[in-house]
Amino acid sequence: MNKKRLLSVLLSAAMVAGTMTMAVPVAAEETEEITWMFWDDLEATEDLISKGYKEVIDRFNTEYEGQYHVTPITTNLEEYDGKLNALIAAGQTPDVYICNPGPNMDVYVNAGAAADLTDILQNQEADWYASFTDGIFERMTYDGKIMAVPTNFAAACVYYNTEMFAAAGVEVPATYDELLEVCQKLQEAGYTPISCSAGTAWCLSMIAGYLCDRQGVDLQAIADHTANWTDENCIAAGEKLKELSQYFQPTAAGDSNDQATAAFYNGEAAMLVQGSWAIAQINGNNPEFEEKCGVFQFPGIEGANDPNRMIVKTDNLLMSSTTEHQDAAIALMKMFTDETAQKYTAEVGGKFPIIKDLEINYDKAPAQLKYVQDIMANATGTFGFYNESLVSVEAGDCFDNAMVDIFLGNQTPEEAFQTVQTFYEDNVWE
Amino acid sequence: MDKILRDKKAICIFVAPALAMFVLVLVIPVIQMLYYSLCDYAALTPPSFVGLANYKKLFFKDSTFRIALKNSIFFMIFSAVTQQVIGLLLAVMLTNIPKGRNLFKNIYYLPCVLSSAALGLLWAFLFNPKIGINNLLAKFGIEGPLWLMESKGFIVLPMWVIAFVALWQYVGQNMMLYMAQITGISRDVYEASYIDGASKVKAFRYITLPLIKPMVITSLSLNCIGSLKFFDLVYNMTQGGPNHRTEVLATELYAEGFNYFKYGYASAISVVLLVMCLVVTLLVKKVIKVETYES
Amino acid sequence: MSKTVVKSNKNNIKPITMVIYIFLIILAVIYLAPLLWMLSVSLKDNAGVMAAPFALPEVFHFENYVQAWTLGKLGQALINSVLVCGVTLIVSMFFGAMAAFAIARMRWKFSEAMHTFFLIGMMVPVHCILIPLFVRFAKLGLTNSRFGLMIPYITFSLPMTIFLLTGFFKSMPGELFEAAAIDGCGIYGCFFRIALPLCRTGFFVSGLMTFIGNWNELLLAMVFISDPMKKTLPVTLTYFVGPYATNYVQMFAAIIIAIAPTVIVYCMFSNQIVEGLTTGAVKG
Repeated sequence: MNKKRLLSVLLSAAMVAGTMTMAVPVAAEETEEITWMFWDDLEATEDLISKGYKEVIDRFNTEYEGQYHVTPITTNLEEYDGKLNALIAAGQTPDVYICNPGPNMDVYVNAGAAADLTDILQNQEADWYASFTDGIFERMTYDGKIMAVPTNFAAACVYYNTEMFAAAGVEVPATYDELLEVCQKLQEAGYTPISCSAGTAWCLSMIAGYLCDRQGVDLQAIADHTANWTDENCIAAGEKLKELSQYFQPTAAGDSNDQATAAFYNGEAAMLVQGSWAIAQINGNNPEFEEKCGVFQFPGIEGANDPNRMIVKTDNLLMSSTTEHQDAAIALMKMFTDETAQKYTAEVGGKFPIIKDLEINYDKAPAQLKYVQDIMANATGTFGFYNESLVSVEAGDCFDNAMVDIFLGNQTPEEAFQTVQTFYEDNVWE
Repeated sequence: MDKILRDKKAICIFVAPALAMFVLVLVIPVIQMLYYSLCDYAALTPPSFVGLANYKKLFFKDSTFRIALKNSIFFMIFSAVTQQVIGLLLAVMLTNIPKGRNLFKNIYYLPCVLSSAALGLLWAFLFNPKIGINNLLAKFGIEGPLWLMESKGFIVLPMWVIAFVALWQYVGQNMMLYMAQITGISRDVYEASYIDGASKVKAFRYITLPLIKPMVITSLSLNCIGSLKFFDLVYNMTQGGPNHRTEVLATELYAEGFNYFKYGYASAISVVLLVMCLVVTLLVKKVIKVETYES
Repeated sequence: MSKTVVKSNKNNIKPITMVIYIFLIILAVIYLAPLLWMLSVSLKDNAGVMAAPFALPEVFHFENYVQAWTLGKLGQALINSVLVCGVTLIVSMFFGAMAAFAIARMRWKFSEAMHTFFLIGMMVPVHCILIPLFVRFAKLGLTNSRFGLMIPYITFSLPMTIFLLTGFFKSMPGELFEAAAIDGCGIYGCFFRIALPLCRTGFFVSGLMTFIGNWNELLLAMVFISDPMKKTLPVTLTYFVGPYATNYVQMFAAIIIAIAPTVIVYCMFSNQIVEGLTTGAVKG
């Protein structure tokens, strides 16, 4: 067994090397321990919003030292829901956990894994409740019960390269037809008009979602089966997606979200449709780009729906319905939504705060945030990401995939929406 | 001696720990899985019995399952054929070269011991339209295809790409098994055949092939089961996309279970997968009849 | 390794051998190039990778490794991996050897059936049983502990171990055991004094295989362990692929750190694997 012994010596040498980095936090005995579950590694992350969350956690543990202590449970994004489900199924629901809005949150609310926060917010912590932006709880309310607290929200807009627009002699388009013209001129001037990722399906589906909404697709009516996915307005949106996609970069089909965004901030394409979280990514990777990056809202379609509706998305905190440390959990959620955290969200993270009367120093904040803010001021309504607004996560994926198929040319818009229609017939409308 | 070897108590003691762990950690969960496959079980709500509904939906309504089944079978056949043939070929070549046998063997076997999750990331990177192989091809003026997004054809290009990477990673396993078997064949047998005037090709046909037959069964079964269960590379290279076209059984199982939390439905897929593994192993044993061989 | 196969009678290399060598060398390049490329990428910066992915790094960015090591807590992860895989290795080999010995050498009605039963275990995809297993373990308080992770690892290592060791035990000459029995050795003596020591190669091969398998295992580790201080190497690797941004150079640096131990161990012992397979698996 000499070789095995050698092996163990080798490996234990590696162990000793590793021990140096060990540091186990020791909590005082009477401290209330809670857990918070999140979808990014707080130590290794490059994402500015995640870094902001880490600051909140550190602040919480310092401020409440001896009283409360929170330990984050982190996974990567892909495995987040699987792991959270396993924990809930096993009766180990984290005290506070983050969640996307829409069908994802429905799952946890319907399973009884989330605590009803209505009473806490409206009565016990009325001041806290009053600090939130009006109407922000709309998508977190189930049968009149508030089930979550938002930490920020982001809006999807079109980012554009002002230099390229000037060089091609084009102005910001207000309608879809103008957008096509702009694309055409940009292309003639030798630029790639739009950078988009179909490799990451939700990026493409964001454009599709805007087109559907601009065409007047009513998701609630579809969910109630008073409208169909095969209706004219859906098909028209699909055709416009196909039309617009000829102006995407040639590698759009395979590029990931990161690559598509990188193509934009590296000056390889003139426009990018993204959520405002991309601001942090753009400025973080190419600081010089900030001054030539403009923002406009997704153009409307003439003679169709209201052109001032915006795609927005909140990050939400849910509290476990079975938590034994409600006070600690509430204190943590309050810290996520206090002024310090919210200021960070806006000025560094590039997402929108969810509390009122917050003074944002726009000189410190990324320039684009102000543009998005101005657009939001004119917004007449908001709606969610399409894949997060359908009846289930699976339905959202089905929609995303159908859009990818339209883009790749594997299916005509009619065929693609028929797939979604069939999915609804088989799974939703039964 | 015989009495010692028939000592019932000793047998029990020897088998008990392994058997107990097996039953507790594997058999009971598998039985649970069988039961769940007959239930509507949405992760966080308790399972409710629905009979064969999951299977009906799986076989008659689920187009993704059909793609996954098709891809898994393609993958199994492709892997079995290429890995067996190339593995054997490499083994024969390596046993016939005078120098460097160990070096080459170690190189070809290396990917087998590395994490396929890590290698999946590496290859996904290499087949990326911008930074990978296409970047290299572009230097020669060739516009490479979208390796991992092309979606035309009965078996889509990404499936071939993944199958190629799997071949790259795992062919060493078969090569090793065959080399082990071939080097085990006594040299005298060959020398005798040469004295009788047999050519190398003939020696291969009439000596090597028959003698490695038992290994074919082992290696082919491992091959087939491995490719049916295959998950890591697909998950890390395409995640089943575009639009489920590279879905295999294991990835669909994972998506249904962990993205959509349809545990009942996912269990039904597991059962199909398990049954396929059993059938394939039996088939391999039946088709290749072994003459008993003792060296 | 025993001298094998036919040696060419002539001293000069035949053309066919030349062709084989050329083929083998091309193949070796196909095998090594991606791995070397990964090494090259891990020493660049992100911008450099995007600009010229195949160029060699102009400046060696060793800090990628330092960052990957500290940010990913790879040191702690390495300890956890060694601990979990090490204990798994020892326990699964011991239990596996016991069962394999009973199956291979002892005479009882169900030995063949038992062998098949264990082999069927190889066919169960771990995904199938993840949920029932996790729920059960959570109730027993075995989740989020390295010990809890070892139990399924041991179980999933058993089929391979039993499969290989049965082959080894079967290939041992029966006279050995008979002689021992005549000398007054009981069944346990036969097992501990004869079977185990003579099976070193078998342990080596099956040990290496299960060790490598568990070392690379991701899914169970991901679901079972929540505490960052208890995570194994493959799990920590996944964090370099973030949700909104990907840091390629650090990711590759981390991958290289993670695969280095396997590569080193492999290079040291690869010859023994073949030797073991020669005498073992063949008879399985």
